[in-house]
Amino acid sequence: MSIPAVAVYDLSYAYPDGTEALRGITFTVEPGLAVALVGANGAGKSTLLQHLNGGLFNARQGEVRIGETVVSRKSVSLVRHAVGMVFQDSDDQLFMPTVAEDVAFGPLNAGLSSEEVERRVESALERVGMTQVRERPPYRLSAGEKRAVAIASVLAMEPEVLVMDEPSANLDPRARRRLIELLRSFGHTRIIATHDLELAVEVCSRVIVLDEGRVVADGPMVGILNDEALMEEHGLERPHILRHMHPHT
Amino acid sequence: MHMADALLSPAVGGTLWAVSGGLIAFCARKVKQTMQDHLVPLMGVMGAFVFAGQMINFSIPGTGSSGHLCGGLMLAILLGPWAAFLVIASILTIQSLFFADGGVLALGCNIFNMGFLPVFVAYPLYKLITKGRHGSPLAWAASIVSAVIGLVLGAFGVVLETTASGISELPFGSFVLVMLPIHLAIGLVEGLATATVVSFVFRARPEILQAEPEAGIRIRPILVGLAVAALVIGGAFSWFASTHPDGLEWSVVRVSGSEEVAGSNAEIHQHLAGFQRKVAFLPDYGFKAGEAEEEACDAWPSVSAGATVSGLVGGSLTLGLVVLTGLALRLRPVRQAK
Amino acid sequence: MRLADWTEIGRMDELGRMDSPVHRLDPRAKVLVSLVFIVLVMSFPRYEISALVPFLFYPVGLIALARIPMRHIMKKMLIAAPFALLIGLVNPLFDRQPMCSVGPLELSGGWVSFISILFRFVLTVSAALALVAGTGMYRLGAGLERLGLPRVFAMQLLFLYRYLFVISDEAARIMRGVRLRSVGSGALGLRVYGSLVGQLLLRSMDRADRIYQAMVARGFDGEIRLLQQSVPGWCDAVFAGCSLILLGAARVWNLSDLLGIWLAGGVS
Repeated sequence: MSIPAVAVYDLSYAYPDGTEALRGITFTVEPGLAVALVGANGAGKSTLLQHLNGGLFNARQGEVRIGETVVSRKSVSLVRHAVGMVFQDSDDQLFMPTVAEDVAFGPLNAGLSSEEVERRVESALERVGMTQVRERPPYRLSAGEKRAVAIASVLAMEPEVLVMDEPSANLDPRARRRLIELLRSFGHTRIIATHDLELAVEVCSRVIVLDEGRVVADGPMVGILNDEALMEEHGLERPHILRHMHPHT
Repeated sequence: MHMADALLSPAVGGTLWAVSGGLIAFCARKVKQTMQDHLVPLMGVMGAFVFAGQMINFSIPGTGSSGHLCGGLMLAILLGPWAAFLVIASILTIQSLFFADGGVLALGCNIFNMGFLPVFVAYPLYKLITKGRHGSPLAWAASIVSAVIGLVLGAFGVVLETTASGISELPFGSFVLVMLPIHLAIGLVEGLATATVVSFVFRARPEILQAEPEAGIRIRPILVGLAVAALVIGGAFSWFASTHPDGLEWSVVRVSGSEEVAGSNAEIHQHLAGFQRKVAFLPDYGFKAGEAEEEACDAWPSVSAGATVSGLVGGSLTLGLVVLTGLALRLRPVRQAK
Repeated sequence: MRLADWTEIGRMDELGRMDSPVHRLDPRAKVLVSLVFIVLVMSFPRYEISALVPFLFYPVGLIALARIPMRHIMKKMLIAAPFALLIGLVNPLFDRQPMCSVGPLELSGGWVSFISILFRFVLTVSAALALVAGTGMYRLGAGLERLGLPRVFAMQLLFLYRYLFVISDEAARIMRGVRLRSVGSGALGLRVYGSLVGQLLLRSMDRADRIYQAMVARGFDGEIRLLQQSVPGWCDAVFAGCSLILLGAARVWNLSDLLGIWLAGGVS
């Protein structure tokens, strides 16, 4: 068996005020797989995501591995280049004055040559179909364009793992559809925290359900989301789309 | 409160540019040294907050009018003086560039009046009085007192700078009498607004206000800095005031590089005036105006009879040319587009 | 700052992002010429008017070439005028010595210097506005940084500008909420005001925190790096050189006067 792209072992974390956010989380993700992370608000999704790219690392116990690297204060810059994080509010992520500057931010910090930075910016924008907004300031973009550019800014760092927090939040139906197609087309390992279960069904093959900081279910997408009792117990709802799908597909 | 370029001489504007520029460089270094990387986005967002916060007004108790936060003292309380100074300077820069609210030459003055004074004079005072007890009645008093002092000093700065520039005829004394009461009132409002917002923040998230004092300032270096700044500015002002009543000649010399240019300028004027007397149409007006001229502006004796009339004619013609040029330039790309 | 000002800043932003010969010039050249322009204009003696007129060529040329609507610049000037106007109007009160006469009209020194102040105001303000509208905040900030503005401060300008739009949206939402639930004027009691502005403040600080997280996630180490800017070409050198020479000439010689004299000579 190959080394998992992401491995979390017995991870627990409490915030400084004592709130226990994660309690003994364990799971691994194989390279190239797309995994949905679902759970009601406050279930610990965001806290978990922050651990995946070194946003938080003073866990009370357990460890996170990205490939062969254990996430720690020492390895954090390596980890941040391997794991690209797409934030929930694109306005928080697109802080530079133009789209091109924003996409270049990560590669410039990595100390790449200006030709390489230029190549990365161009190919990342092309990948998400946003080359035409290159010189625009981020606040002049629609929500869908912002999200696409935010993804490009992460792709430009050429990460192995993409971690996303609510990628479809605030998108209109057409922008959401485009996002789903984009996410399906990626070959990266993807971990997507979302309330949008229909997006999860279309993009991911596996789902991890969190509740009160614990993994309460982990398995193939359709089987778990069809388990109405489980879903309701943890504050979720069986997605409508599955009612029209055959359980074996 | 925001000074415009039109009332400022380059000498005064330049001096204050140098002072404020030095302060910006100094504070930028300080912020970088104590880095605290998280200050980078925080400073930017706080600047935007001060702008946006001015959209929200409150009614001033006992009057019919309303006021809003200017934010200098508040920024210092939340961010510490170095970062706060940079934020205020950036706000004033944006205001001057996008709203023509305060001129570009006057930017140095405005940053000094509304940045340096509240942050490095009013804020240390606030700290001295409150000693970290935000939200207490003492803190309310401290906030009002220091905001008033900051604004009144700022108003005083405006008066000094305008008078030293010598373009406005407003006498020093009456200017002070107009400006001080207004800014006393604005200071009261600012103090109230600052205190009410700070005490809200203190109740909701005390850790934000407690985090700051470590990065805070000692009083002594500030006093020393203030004394130095006062000396520099006082020295510059009194020099202008004594040697050049309107601070103009000096600036002309500085701009043109030598005193001779001013002299030759005058010579040209005289020469042309003589030429003008020979050839002038409307000689009457020219002569009459010339006499009055000679008496009135001894500060600039080169302005002469001929200059006035020819200036009038030439000036209006030039104005016409400007308009035509503007129109022509505007038409050009359209024609290309067709 | 009122709501209308926000649409104004948006308008300036749009103008700054247009494409024209002026927009394509290196921002450093424009900044340099504009600063020299303002200092030269303000270095004239207080009674000067005619020598100031040729200086109009610079802002008018810039505005026209950048295809900025003149009306827009004028409107902004009118809004900014009151302070200079008020202080300037004092001059005729204090300086009543007759100075020159135009036909039957006798002008006192105060009026002459007042007109001069207005002229300076128009010149300096229009030059500054033309610079911003013809460059755009991003190019201006990057240019200033390359002119030696401390990077911390250049980035502060750009960050502030970037989040103006985001935070003001939040403030507008808060105010809409208040208006929906209250009758009468927009002005609030002090207590309500404190909690509203305090909320806005806390939300802004939370946002700053998330932005910091996003920056760190992409390798931020305290230093912000910008993409390489274009190198100035001969166009920029020609623009700066010619403008500076012309401005210098207009400062040394009263060009309006010369024109008038030349014409007068020609007529007689």
